[in-house]
Amino acid sequence: MSSPLENVSHACFGLSYLVAFACEVARLRWPSRPLRLTGLGWGAAGLLAHSAFLIVRHPTPASPEGSLLGVAWVLAVFSLYGSVHHAKQAWAVFVLPVVLGLVGLSFAETPVAAPPWLPGERGWGSLHGLLLLLAAVGVSVGFLASVMYLVQAGRLKAKRSPLGGLAMLSLERLEAMNRRAVNVAFPLLSGGLLLGVVLLRHGEDLAGNLFTVKVLGTLGLWAVFGVLLYLRYAANVSGRRLALGTIVAFALFLLVLASTHPFAVGAGGRPL
Amino acid sequence: MNLRMVGCNYRTAPVEWREKLAFDAAGHAKAVTEVAARFGCEVLLLSTCNRVEFLVAGSVPGGTPPFDAGLAAEFLAEVRGVPAASVAPLLYEHTQAAAVRHLFRVVASLDSLIVGEGQIAGQVKHAFEASQGLGVTGPLLNALLPFALRTAKRVRTETGITRGHVSVSSVAVDYVRQVFDTFADKTVLIVGAGKMGRLTLKHLQELKPRRILVTNRSPARAVEVAALCGGVAVPWDELDDALVKADIVVSTTGAGEPIVTARRYAAKVAPRRTGTQVILDIAVPRDFDPAIHDGDRVCLFNIDDLTRVREQTLAGRRKQVAPAEAIVEHEVKKFTEDWTRRRHGPVIGKLTAEVDKLRAEVTAQLLPRLNGKLTDEDRKTIEGAFRLFQNKLLHGPIAALHEAGREGQSGTLLESLKKLFRLE
Repeated sequence: MSSPLENVSHACFGLSYLVAFACEVARLRWPSRPLRLTGLGWGAAGLLAHSAFLIVRHPTPASPEGSLLGVAWVLAVFSLYGSVHHAKQAWAVFVLPVVLGLVGLSFAETPVAAPPWLPGERGWGSLHGLLLLLAAVGVSVGFLASVMYLVQAGRLKAKRSPLGGLAMLSLERLEAMNRRAVNVAFPLLSGGLLLGVVLLRHGEDLAGNLFTVKVLGTLGLWAVFGVLLYLRYAANVSGRRLALGTIVAFALFLLVLASTHPFAVGAGGRPL
Repeated sequence: MNLRMVGCNYRTAPVEWREKLAFDAAGHAKAVTEVAARFGCEVLLLSTCNRVEFLVAGSVPGGTPPFDAGLAAEFLAEVRGVPAASVAPLLYEHTQAAAVRHLFRVVASLDSLIVGEGQIAGQVKHAFEASQGLGVTGPLLNALLPFALRTAKRVRTETGITRGHVSVSSVAVDYVRQVFDTFADKTVLIVGAGKMGRLTLKHLQELKPRRILVTNRSPARAVEVAALCGGVAVPWDELDDALVKADIVVSTTGAGEPIVTARRYAAKVAPRRTGTQVILDIAVPRDFDPAIHDGDRVCLFNIDDLTRVREQTLAGRRKQVAPAEAIVEHEVKKFTEDWTRRRHGPVIGKLTAEVDKLRAEVTAQLLPRLNGKLTDEDRKTIEGAFRLFQNKLLHGPIAALHEAGREGQSGTLLESLKKLFRLE
């Protein structure tokens, strides 16, 4: 007998997140407690359905669908936590569109099977996936902090009333959030990438696997992060420029996520 | 209801009179006790820099406490040592529902000099607690004041009338908070020693910055201001170095032209600084070239920017006055109806029971005489007719009582009903 959880689809949590986002946007115009609680409720319901989907369907993180949904799940937790913790800030207004974007992208991807690891490689493969997933979360958080930073800096540049429009975190807090996200993501990305290269060496077609969009994009992402760290600590670059750099890194990251992993089986990866 | 509000405020009394009539803590307690003892009523005295008002409640329903504007003028003249004839024109009074309305408007800060100011509700609460402590409150004030404070809270939360700051120095701090989150590692630099700068510094000091630097063309003045705020005086010719160190700059010099031009800032300060700097240029003419502002590395706000936000906040509050008045009106009606129901309930209950008893007696006499001639249906019809007659008979007096109650004028009618139907 099939479990009802097997009927949970992208639409279930995608629409829940969409309703939560609509509530958050409405709250900007009509701030009210019931609207906030409704938004939180839909966000939590979406997260529950999302978790059920990941547990039941178990999409492999090596597939674009699996990695996009994995990062979206972490960001949905981040959104819910932020909405509860920063009740007065327009937190979910920034995070939920990214979650929705990732869920939408994952929906467009064809599911692929987990890679057939050689004996002794499964553990390393999992560690490689985990490191990159955590780095991906760091990139996403950095991106969100950067977007918020640019919005807040724009408001300050225009000298808008501190109480008008969106309630936002201070520039200092957003800059620190971005800095921490990049600082954490870079070593994780480096570790994950290094492990991936080692695992690639054991593959049949090293050159073919190396020159895939996924691998080259990840290398590019790593390089962009290196530049960002240099600019932050060595070149005294303004917060706005660093925020723009992080947004570029996020765009590259999306490209990497949406491309097929060289180890994945089927749908553009290895042949079935 | 038996309620009267008598007093003066910033609209009826100039500040020199409000100063004369205001009460300190000791005088407040003495005046409240004295009025309660002399006039035998519940008393609340609200004495702030903008108003001196007595709220008095009598024990006889429907009457008005004797402490009217005339007696209040005499009392204030006596305790304050001023001529009663001078005080009397400054006073206004409201009774019954109008007094409730006035109180609710005061607590909701709709009657304040700056609409939406947040202090008045606390001051009313404090005055109420003082009266309770002195034992001069009774059923009416004990019901009315918590209701008034709830109304003020409703106005605050539903309209946002108290949102934002309306002093230039508070707005300046609001801007600083948009940039910085923690202040324990921040350096504040005060350039000049203007009054507005000192006010802004007072607000900034509440954020507990790591250190305060003060610089002034006059070294003695810099040392003086630094001593007042626990800061360090910096020589005027080290201004550029101080600017490099500062995270927040408050500038209020009396210089005739900008002391820091965009070129000077770009050459001497910007290359040596890391992180964002907030400059609050409150001087007129301005001390910093506005071109320095970029909203990222440097956030420069001058007096016009701060005043504009202040005006926006005030305009926002003015928009909320009509919805706030509607809430007050609704709550006044609710309170007077609740109070009326509480006061009328027992009398109406007694009246209904008395007439019920009479009806039962009459039908008990009538029905046996018609025994044998009536079916059960006939008996029910007759009893129903008597009940209908009773309801129609009582509807008029009860409705009139409720109507008078809504205006807070039901006392005489209530007494008349008691006498007419012998309900004592």
